[in-house]
Amino acid sequence: MKLEFTVNGQDYTLDVNPDDRLLDVLRDKLGLTSVKEGCSEGECGACTVIMDGAAVTSCTVLAIQARGKEIITVEGLEKNGELDELQKSFIKNGAVQCGFCTPGMLMSSKALLMKNPNPTEEEIKRAIEGNLCRCTGYVKIIKAVKDVIEG
Amino acid sequence: MESLVVETPESLDELVECLKRADKNTYLLAGGTDLIIRMRRSKIYSGKVIDLSGINELKKIKEESKYLRIGALVTHSMISENDKIKEFFPALMEASSQVGSTQIRNRGTIAGNIANSSPCADTVPPLMTSSAKVRTINGKGEIKERDIDEVVKGSGFNYLQKDEAIIEIIIPKLGNEYLSAFGKLGSRTAVTIAKINGAILVKMDSTGKKIKKAYVSLGALGPKAFRSKIVEDRLIGKEISRQLFHDLCNSLIEQVDLAIKGRSSHPYKREAIKGMAQDIFIRLFGSGVLENEKK
Repeated sequence: MKLEFTVNGQDYTLDVNPDDRLLDVLRDKLGLTSVKEGCSEGECGACTVIMDGAAVTSCTVLAIQARGKEIITVEGLEKNGELDELQKSFIKNGAVQCGFCTPGMLMSSKALLMKNPNPTEEEIKRAIEGNLCRCTGYVKIIKAVKDVIEG
Repeated sequence: MESLVVETPESLDELVECLKRADKNTYLLAGGTDLIIRMRRSKIYSGKVIDLSGINELKKIKEESKYLRIGALVTHSMISENDKIKEFFPALMEASSQVGSTQIRNRGTIAGNIANSSPCADTVPPLMTSSAKVRTINGKGEIKERDIDEVVKGSGFNYLQKDEAIIEIIIPKLGNEYLSAFGKLGSRTAVTIAKINGAILVKMDSTGKKIKKAYVSLGALGPKAFRSKIVEDRLIGKEISRQLFHDLCNSLIEQVDLAIKGRSSHPYKREAIKGMAQDIFIRLFGSGVLENEKK
């Protein structure tokens, strides 16, 4: 099937299988390996990407459902060789441990900040409630997001 | 081996065309948060998927004089953030806002929640307490309206025909004399599948202190959510008081005993349901009643 969509600001027309998930296409066809496959059932959030401004688990979206949509992955956060403020804050705050959940955490928090540039701590927690960190680094992750708001 | 075919209707007319050719190997896809996982788990790699997600006319919440019409593809996020649903039927707003996680609420739809017919579907108990109607269209273009009970069979099955799709959920706009709330208990707050969920809708008398009518629906206590007459009878005609809260708890426990006695989850659920009762009670009547009358 023909899939036309935009990923990280670039238009693509790809030939995809009917049963490909958005996750499969982003990772295997476009080589965007920031998109991690964890649980494969929308529980862990490691495969989170932003689709038309909303955080979604790319393992529960069929690739063809992304037709006409705009997708952002971690690869799209960096601008002109410079990391996004959120990425810098994650590094500064030690919000990365093993790193597997990090892309999903970044995309869930980015989606929140795009919609609401000044969220409360409760809103941050709600935004990342679908992202599991098995190193249990939540405190630092929340701190990293808060730091971006406070500048 | 035959491979999977995905059809992508962009309008209701195109949907009817797709439904015309539907058979037992046809699956309707909305948000995908249940279906995609289920198909992979069951190793279904052939048949036909009709992807509804391109039908924009089903993504709206419309207000009419007596009803709110919620399009089949309206997501839990949209319901959670909708002022009209909050105003006229807060129980549904609360249910949708407690589904899964942000990512799941951004994709999961109200029609999917109903059609998937899980015993613990969060929007089903609130919809059962109101006289909500489910509107469907079939391959002949015929439109039908049914009660939610006539659509949800339970345990992951529904009563819809193979060539039928849900297009709208119609809920009555309930006036100020009505109060509604939803409660849920799971093993953790987020991404949790309800171990018990429930909704209560009450109509207050003119003084606003006494319950005139009560509608109670409980989920995750059997193959599908059901109305509990035991609990409803215990609420009707009663004044808001601490005693009412105890009556509510006791009647809920009675209902749990009747529904699942002998199951391994029974001892846990008959205890845990008190917590849910408290959440719902406070949402309905405020926390003052329970605080002021402490022993």
